[in-house]
Order: sequence, then structure tokens, then C-alpha cells
Amino acid sequence: MSTLMEIAQKGQEIPLFTLVAKNEQMKVELLMERVANGRIVIPYNTHHKPQKPQGFGLGLSTKVSASIGLDADEDLLSDELFKVDEAMRAGTSAIMDLSTAGNMDEARRAIIKRVPLPLGTLPIYQAFAEAVRTKGSALALEPEDFFKVMERQAADGVDFMALHSALHTGLLETAKEDQRVLNLVSRGGSLLMGWMLYHNKENFLYTMFDRILEIAKKYEVTLSLADGMRPGAGADSLCRSQVEELAVLGKLVKRSRQAGVQIMIKGPGHTPPNQIAATVQLQKQVCEGAPYFVFGPVSTDVAPGYDEITAAIGGAMASAAGADILCYVTPAEHIAYPNAQDVYRGVVASRIAAHVGDLAKGYPGAADWDRQMSQARREQNVEAQKTFALDQDRLGDFHASEKPFCKKCEKGCAMAVAGEYFKELPWEC
Amino acid sequence: MTQLIKARKGIITPEVERLAKIEGLTSDELCEKVASGRVVILKNKNHKNGLGIAVGEGLRTKVNANIGTSPDCVDFSDELHKINVAVAAGADAIMELSIGGDVDAFHHKVIDQFTLPIGSVPTYQTGMESIEKYGSVVDMTAEDMFEMIERQAKRGIDFMAIHSALNMSIIDRLKNQGRVMDIVSRGGSFITGWMFHNEQDNPLYTQFDRVLEICKKYDVTLSIGDAIRPGCLEDSLDRAQVQGLIVAGELVQRSLAAGVQVMVEGPGHVPLDQIPATILLQKQLCHHVPYYILGNLVTDIAPGYDHITGAIGATTAAIAGADFICYVTPAEHLRLPTAEDVHAGVIATRIATHAADLVTGVKGAREWDLEMARARKVLDWDKQIELSIDPPTARRIRGERNEEGAEACSMCGGFCAVKLVNEYLGTTGGSC
Repeated sequence: MSTLMEIAQKGQEIPLFTLVAKNEQMKVELLMERVANGRIVIPYNTHHKPQKPQGFGLGLSTKVSASIGLDADEDLLSDELFKVDEAMRAGTSAIMDLSTAGNMDEARRAIIKRVPLPLGTLPIYQAFAEAVRTKGSALALEPEDFFKVMERQAADGVDFMALHSALHTGLLETAKEDQRVLNLVSRGGSLLMGWMLYHNKENFLYTMFDRILEIAKKYEVTLSLADGMRPGAGADSLCRSQVEELAVLGKLVKRSRQAGVQIMIKGPGHTPPNQIAATVQLQKQVCEGAPYFVFGPVSTDVAPGYDEITAAIGGAMASAAGADILCYVTPAEHIAYPNAQDVYRGVVASRIAAHVGDLAKGYPGAADWDRQMSQARREQNVEAQKTFALDQDRLGDFHASEKPFCKKCEKGCAMAVAGEYFKELPWEC
Repeated sequence: MTQLIKARKGIITPEVERLAKIEGLTSDELCEKVASGRVVILKNKNHKNGLGIAVGEGLRTKVNANIGTSPDCVDFSDELHKINVAVAAGADAIMELSIGGDVDAFHHKVIDQFTLPIGSVPTYQTGMESIEKYGSVVDMTAEDMFEMIERQAKRGIDFMAIHSALNMSIIDRLKNQGRVMDIVSRGGSFITGWMFHNEQDNPLYTQFDRVLEICKKYDVTLSIGDAIRPGCLEDSLDRAQVQGLIVAGELVQRSLAAGVQVMVEGPGHVPLDQIPATILLQKQLCHHVPYYILGNLVTDIAPGYDHITGAIGATTAAIAGADFICYVTPAEHLRLPTAEDVHAGVIATRIATHAADLVTGVKGAREWDLEMARARKVLDWDKQIELSIDPPTARRIRGERNEEGAEACSMCGGFCAVKLVNEYLGTTGGSC
């Protein structure tokens, strides 16, 4: 069976392409051209076939992904499912299940059933967690165990998988020499690095990349290659280990595309505002335009409790510079595990950033949305303002006990006073 | 003599000496910046216990919080509470924008009680009194306007937004252009209404020398209001806005010539990709005096979250050279902000200004982030909380959901990356 990339390369317009192109106001020929050359990916596992498929990449709207998952054996699946619902209510475009405890198979299957959007995982989490459970240590993991987990997850319908395939022993040396403030903050990356050091072996996700491609191809899993060396502090941004890993990621993009497997690249992380555009451009060049899926980026380290805001600042800049999908950051980042409210707030903040990026990118319809809202404000049309609000539910909180619509100016309302005197203009009030 | 005049004479005032230390400069360096007009010191001679702040080029980006009553919601104790909340959250200055109740008495109280700079928009109170006296805003007289500026200046208001950069030709241009949101500045629309009603040009423009005279007498820093700031992305950088900026530049030149400290107010709603151009334009046209902006709000469609749209814009603006940021609260466009909104607005704006200060090389900014990263590396939670931009909030979130004294956060549980790498790489002296 052909993969989506191969189908696009053959120029066959299947209903999936028609639908995604229509949703994005893009000509289907252009969409297919970009799926064919890897500038756009559509995560779409043949065992899930999400009802609301999403494309990530060049010329499409910037997307938002929300991560949830069981973190401790006592965590309730129902709580995580509620977070999934809240993330969807807030308007996320994708969900990642990052469970590392409890019944991970059951959780994933329940989430896949519930989510009409692309669903992603980090299979190495489950592989290591199962190694701890069955063999007593993460270090006892064998490559074969990992591939079993990966195939199990693929067969369940996971649409995209984050894999730290670009980590290799050469990078260990660089990381040591770099003397970063925070060596490694990628959980999967540090687990793998520990495994590599202990066994004195190369990373099997790197050496056995062809097997990854095989499984991905069989189920149409989109690869989302993770940045094991992503900086965990602004001071570590664009250090040599990060850039060296990016070069390896670029190589893997090429191999993946040759195999007809869709691929995107994950990115940072903690990045000072003036390094965000460069980081995105570097990835785009080195990885030949592969869609870039960034985490935040978190623009300053000093605001725990408000990292949805540090990330919205970074996300808007990244998206304007060409990042294609923003992994949300919640207010709980760095200090606690996010609850449902944090999830909601994280998604909304990322959506604002994504939209600001779309305005800068000139995405069709983005500026119209703002114009319509402004018209509604001009006409003091409360209902229309609610319709155009990014988070209509939130607006409800403000207006439940507030009449008239705006109380801020009262007699001094700028609209009313100026409107009265701008008789030539269509003032309503 | 104003700080500007003294600085030009090379006199190191106590304010310059004290503020230079805070900013990590020598007194001579700061004095030179004040003399050039690129830095202003917000401190009225009559704000006796006022400590003043320095705003401008090369200094830490400052944050202002607006508070004030509305006509049907006059609770000064509540507004006082909001000021306290803003100060605790780290605001550098407060603008008191009340348009209801006994504003005079409240100004007295606020100026007596607070050491940080207090700003105002005198036209608001003039308009309010005009409604009481004549039944409408537009019936105020030019004398009323100047009397109010003098009254507030004498009382000790440190900086005043005055909408002098507005005249008939700008309004004609605005009309010809055809904006989506015409005028959203409250002061601007008062004055515009007044001009149409009285068929006269703006007294704050035509009699600008009177404004200068008062500011000079009390060393009030003049903040030239952007009466025609864009109220939506669509209107950004239109001909009217740019003409307003040209007129503001002319007034800046006159202020500097008169020895009056001056800054310029700016938008407002600006698309992300137009922010650097907007700042550059102001800097070039206005002799590089400080730019005091609202937000910028980078999208119109997120009511309820405008502290976030404002934080995104403020970061880019401050990197591009904006010096003083007026906060935006989650209540913007919706209602008068509550104390909680004030807190959220100040913190979001401080995050933005700090993110920008990191980039522009403000002393201490990078060190702050570095210290936080080091505290994270060794999992020193007390230190992390102490270094947070809002320690009470960080402490609350962590306290609510983590076991007391737990080694790692609950985010990663047994899989803590920092811990694992410390173990396996053995490259750190971390305590865990």
C-alpha cells in the first residue's frame, strides 16, 4: 500500500487531501505538491483515521498540540480524559499522550477513541516504564522491547510519534564539552543517554532507524523526530550540541522522505527572543523545510507559574518565523503536573500565539478575523464580538454580571463621543 | 529648574545619583542621557516623598499600571487596593485615571501615600467636571483645560498624558483615510468632540506653550498622548497615525527647547510584523525621546486574554526600543479591571519587558535567568521560588500539588531528566 507521501507524489487526489486543502483554503494541487516534497505532513494513521485530520506545514495555519498522560500509577484515566476534553474545548489541533505510568495501553486506546484529531506519543516512555516494571530497571531495556511497544502503539492508531533518533554517542562528547547550565532536559533524551552510557552502546533509535521507518510506513505513522539536546535554559540556546543534533536530524529527514514516510522535527524549548527566528530558520534550512514543531519556545526562565505567557511570546515569534506547530506550555510548567484548568489555559495561550504568527505569515483569513472583530467593536455589537472571540467561553465569565457590554468608559466612552461627531461615519451609538 | 535643564548644566541631582545606581550606570552617564532627552526622570517637584524613576534608552524597560474609578463605580478604597496590588506585583509607575467621585482628594491621598511616580490624563478630570458644570464634555473651556493641568501639576502628578498632537488637519486626514476604529483614545475623542462642537482647533495644540510653562514649573514630564492611536490592527500605521507622530515630533522639539522633560505615547493595536517599524518611526521623528506604549496588542480577537496579546507585543516593542510599557489587563475591552486583573496585567507585562531586557543587554537581566537555570539544575526549589517573577504564585502552585520537601517536581516523577543526567553524566555537584 502506498503512503500519503507516495500518493501525493503520484498526483492522486484522495478525499483526505481535498478535505485538508479545503479547510486550509489552499489549492489541493499545492497541498499535494507540499505533501509530496515533505513541506506539509498530515498525521493520519490508517488504524485511526482521525475524523478531523490536520495538516502541519508550509502555508497552512499554525497548529497547537496539547500533551497529557498518566504520570503516576494512582492517576485516574478519567482525569486525563477530562484534560483531553478541556484541551479540545480550548481548540487544540492535536493531542499527545505522554503516559509513563498506570495502564498505558488502556489509556492510549481510550484517548484514541475519544480524539478526532491527530494523536501523538513518545513510545520510548512506555518502553522504559515497562522495562522498569518487568525487568526492574530502565537500563534493562532491550531494543527489541522498544520496537514491540512502537509497533503496538502504531497498530493502536497513533498518528505521530516523537523519537530521539538523532542522539548518538558523538553528541555525548559535545554535551560534556558544552558544559551547559542544564545538561539535558528532554526526558526521553536523558533516559536514552543513560542507557547508552551504561551499555556503552550506540542509540538504537539511531542505528536501527530503518526499522522505525518500516513500522511508520506500514501504519502511516508520521515521525516527529525529537530534539534530545533541546536547551533547558536561555543560556544554553544554540549551543553546539543542539546544532550538531539538528544536522543529524536533517540527515534523517532525507532518509525518511526517501522511504516515503512523513516526518517533522521537534524544536526548543528555552530560547531567548532574539534567537527564535534564527533557530527556526536554521531548522528549516538544515532539515529541508520539514515542518517544525516547537515547544513554546519559552522566552525567559524566570516566570514559573506563567510559562503559558513566556511561551506565547516565544510561540508568536516562532510561528511568525515559520514554525508550523506549537506544543503548548501550561502555567504549571517547571513546578507541577498540569491540571485540567492549566491544560485549558495552555491551549488558549498557544492558540493566541499561533494566530499572531498566522497574521505575520499572511495566512488567508487571519487578518479578516481581526477585522471582523474590530467591526463588531465599532458597532458595539456584543453578539458579534462573542462570535469572533478566540475563547467565547471565557468572554462569558466577564459578561455574566456586566451590563452594558463595556463599562470601562461610561460617559467618557471614546466610541460614543467620537461617533457623535464623526457624523459622516456609520456610528451606531 | 527641571531635571533636563540641570542635566544640561552638568548638575548631578540626588535623583540622578540614586537612579544611576539602580540602573547600574555612573551618575555622569545617566546625567548625559537625561541631558540628551533620551532619558526622562519622572518626578514632580511637589511629589515630596516621590522617589522617581528613570525611563529611556539603555535602561531597564519600565511597566505602568492604570487604575481609576468610573462614574457609576466609585470606590476609592478599591482603587487604592489595586495600586497596592500593582506595586506588590512590581509595577514601576501608576496612572490614576479616575473619572468618577472626588478625584482631587484621591490624587492627594495617592501622591502622599506612594513613592513611585503617579501619572494622569488631566483631560479626564476636566471632562468630568465639565459634565457637572455644563452638562457635557464638549462645553469645557480652554481655560478649564489649563486650570486642570496646573491644579494636577501643583498637587504633584509626576507625568501627564496630554493630547496636544491632535489638530484639525490630522482629523481631516483621518476622515479621508476611513478607519475601521476612528478614535479609541478616550482623551483623543474628548478633544475631537470638543473641536467639532466648538469649531475651534485643539487648545492643547494651539496653546502648547502654556502646557510647557506648567510642566516646566513643576518638572512634570510631558507624555504626549497619541490621540489617534489605532484601535485595531487594520488601522495601524495609517496616514493619520503617522501625521500624529510628525506633529508629536514637532512638539517634542519645542519641549526640549523649553527644557521640559518629554516622552511620547504610542499604540495600541499593532500587528507583530509592524512593531519594529512603528518604534523606529517614533524614535526617528521624535528625537529619540522615550516611547511609552500601550501593549502592543498584536491581535484583536482575544478578549479576556489581552494581557497575553499585550505581552507578545510588548516583548517585540521593547526589543525594538520602546522604553515604558503601559500594561494591558485581561479585562481590556470588557470592563474595569479588578484587583486580580491588575495583578495579572502587571506580571504579564513584566515578563515581556524582562524577555526584552534579556536581549537588549540590560544589566542583570541575563544573570537573573542564569541564576534560575542554576537553581533548576540543582533542584533547589526554595531558590527557584525566590527567583520567580511572582514568588507567591509559584509557591502556591507548587505547594498545592507537591508533597512538602519532595525532591523533584511532580512533572516527571521517577523520570526526572535533570536527576538522571546528573546521575549518568556525573557532571554536576547537584545535591540530589
